[in-house]
Amino acid sequence: MSISTQPARWTITRPKGVLLPLALLVLAILAAFTLLPGVIAPHDPIALAMADRLKPPSLTHIFGTDEGGRDVFSRIVYGTRYSLGVAIAIVFASALFGVIYGAISGMARRGIDNLMMRIVDLFFGFPALVLALAVAASIGRGLDSVALSLAIIWWPGYARLVRGEVLRLRERPHVEAARALGVSEMTILRRHIIPFVVQEVNVRVTTDIGYALVAVTALSFLGLGANSPTPEWGLLIRDSRPYFGSAWWYLVFPGTMIMLTATAFSLIGDALASRRAA
Amino acid sequence: MILSVRDFAIGFQREGQNLVAVDGISFDVEAGETFVIIGESGSGKSLTGMSIAGLQPPTAFVSGSIRFKDREMLNRPDAELRKLRGPEIGLIYQDPLSSLNPVWPVGDQIAETLTAHGLADRAEANKRAVEMLERVRIPDPRRVASAYPHEISGGMRQRAMIAMALAANPSLLIADEPTTALDVTIKAQILELLADLKRELALTIILITHDMGVVAEVADRILVLYAGRIAEIGPADSIMLQPSHPYTAALMTSAMISQTPAKQELNAIVGGAPGLGAFPAGCRFHPRCPRAQDDCNTVEPPRRKFGAVELACHHPIEVAMSLQVARS
Repeated sequence: MSISTQPARWTITRPKGVLLPLALLVLAILAAFTLLPGVIAPHDPIALAMADRLKPPSLTHIFGTDEGGRDVFSRIVYGTRYSLGVAIAIVFASALFGVIYGAISGMARRGIDNLMMRIVDLFFGFPALVLALAVAASIGRGLDSVALSLAIIWWPGYARLVRGEVLRLRERPHVEAARALGVSEMTILRRHIIPFVVQEVNVRVTTDIGYALVAVTALSFLGLGANSPTPEWGLLIRDSRPYFGSAWWYLVFPGTMIMLTATAFSLIGDALASRRAA
Repeated sequence: MILSVRDFAIGFQREGQNLVAVDGISFDVEAGETFVIIGESGSGKSLTGMSIAGLQPPTAFVSGSIRFKDREMLNRPDAELRKLRGPEIGLIYQDPLSSLNPVWPVGDQIAETLTAHGLADRAEANKRAVEMLERVRIPDPRRVASAYPHEISGGMRQRAMIAMALAANPSLLIADEPTTALDVTIKAQILELLADLKRELALTIILITHDMGVVAEVADRILVLYAGRIAEIGPADSIMLQPSHPYTAALMTSAMISQTPAKQELNAIVGGAPGLGAFPAGCRFHPRCPRAQDDCNTVEPPRRKFGAVELACHHPIEVAMSLQVARS
């Protein structure tokens, strides 16, 4: 047997052809859950039915029931609004603020730019969990404090991304040309720079929604987020822990939902990014 | 006289060193003429052109004076410069595709020149944009106005750029290598268009180029720039037909490729243009000059007048020499 002197060539092939439609399907399902929970969910997500306590999946309760006899599937459906809604709100708010901040920093003179970026560094260095604890301690635990603390640590990523893009775009010939026609810096930013920044931000926003969802549910799981009986996904997992030995469905289905959702957003973000590159 | 440049210098600071790119040049541009600045890359021609519009890089330091219509342009506040760009000075660049914003229709960008200066409202500006496209001889201007830059041809894009630059009716047009990215036939059309527009709109044009073909086509007067200094300046005819400066002469012969018989080597200028911060002492052209003598290595040639032409050379070519003898 001869030993090849050629280095092994690894090609990473991604079965995009199948995964992307699946991701879009997940997205469609999530949209339906968010918009029409009353139509989709077969049972009330809050009302207790102690007779049906911890029932395994069946035709009436396809994901089983929890310790209060509530339908896990219905709780997941209603919970989409909380988990995904908060994740989307965090990312949108961060993106909006980050774009404005980054754009100003990128257009500003060097001194101001430096100062603004050091402030960003400060926020970057802050550990998310400690901040979440502090916020929860000061304004009380709940999804609003989760949203606030995650938004505080999330926006600097956008500020940096946008500043870099603005610095790059500022040297583009079409920006020079606009400047040569006496167009004001504000108009240049609005018409000749922001439209290009938005393309980059779109990709980032899509992937970030998945990450933010994981962060929101993680904080809820740790007891810093939603309060019972809110059917928030992370809280569902938290509540399921004592019964994991006997009621696997209670943990597995919400966990699977989180994983599927995060993966779907990540895949769609990837697809957007590669379409931009192409 | 529309523009007067005196002892203009521009440079950059790099690692504590002062790198001077343009080193004390003076020239005047008369209203209504086509003034060509010619030089190799790195000669400082584009920096000079940009500085006239106050668009030199913010990191550059400048000295001397650039007076446009009796206004000092150097160190003028940016807000005031912006008011002049568009209504007084228009600029066109080398690459029309990247100089147009790909996300807006062409007409929008022409209209922007007007709205940016409050010269017209949106509707009026859009109407004027179509008129400008017609003015630069674009057939079907209405369609082109609503087209995106990638949907029209390279020649059309450069016409659209010219329409943008002229929309606010400036008196001076600075064209920085406007034909470099175009093929030969389109190049001729654009030059012809510029000549026509100059007549119709009473424009003054400063054309920056390294292309001798372009110079021959349009120039009234020529400024030859070498390594940040003026080599020769004067009427186009004298400089094209009887170059006195060895550098100009070398540029002319190296450009006449079509007249070079097959198998004969092309007349390239030996060596390369010196880089920023590496300009030789004495005459900056001396290491590459076939006529260089000892004094060229050490003494910087002063600018001297020979008839209509001014040049900076210790040993200019014969025709000018005879003039010098005749004068003394």
